[in-house]
Amino acid sequence: MKADGQQSKSRGGLDPVIEAYRKDVDVTLIRENLRLTVDQRFQQLMKLQEFAEDLQRAGRKARSQK
Amino acid sequence: MTDFGALLRLLTENDVEFIIVGGAAATAHGSARLTLDLAIVYKRGSTNIARLVNALRPVQPYLRGAPPGLPFDWSAQTIEKGLNFTLITNLGALDLLGEIVGGGGYEQLSLDTITIEVAGVSCQCISLERLIQVKRAAGRLKDLEAVAELQQILSETQGES
Repeated sequence: MKADGQQSKSRGGLDPVIEAYRKDVDVTLIRENLRLTVDQRFQQLMKLQEFAEDLQRAGRKARSQK
Repeated sequence: MTDFGALLRLLTENDVEFIIVGGAAATAHGSARLTLDLAIVYKRGSTNIARLVNALRPVQPYLRGAPPGLPFDWSAQTIEKGLNFTLITNLGALDLLGEIVGGGGYEQLSLDTITIEVAGVSCQCISLERLIQVKRAAGRLKDLEAVAELQQILSETQGES
């Protein structure tokens, strides 16, 4: 019981933080994603990964040329 | 880059019993956040572990972040002795989890899954509600922003404002 009580208290403590973050969630992006199929969401994720890797490579190159 | 579709096909075509969790599950539910690995909870038990080992052998799993050349033996014995493995494969990063905090193992999680279609195969994915519970239970700071987004997705899909 004590453990449960502690867990509940801990969860309650997270809520204000989560609610604070929630105000900044970009709902337009979510709505756009929800219009896609699950398959399309994964394809988009992979494109995003590829783009992130391109950016990382570009950053490394720029730093090495300094 | 992690080829989510190819990894999921590989597991499914080898009849591995697993549930997609973590950031990939969040993507399936509509998250716009970037995740770099595929995390799955796999069913413990010798039959499924043997399938898992056979399925992944062609993509050469190795401990992610470990120096090259360590004697990592990809075998059923290794999986049976351990529980959670963070791996790199030829198809990208893969987390094999026997259990997750707040969610338990495959049997417990399998009560709260949805079936999704990805890359031409059907897979089990943790439900949105359970994913939120699990991420909250983990209590990691980095998860709180993700929880906020998932709760927003839940509101959107339930037609709330």
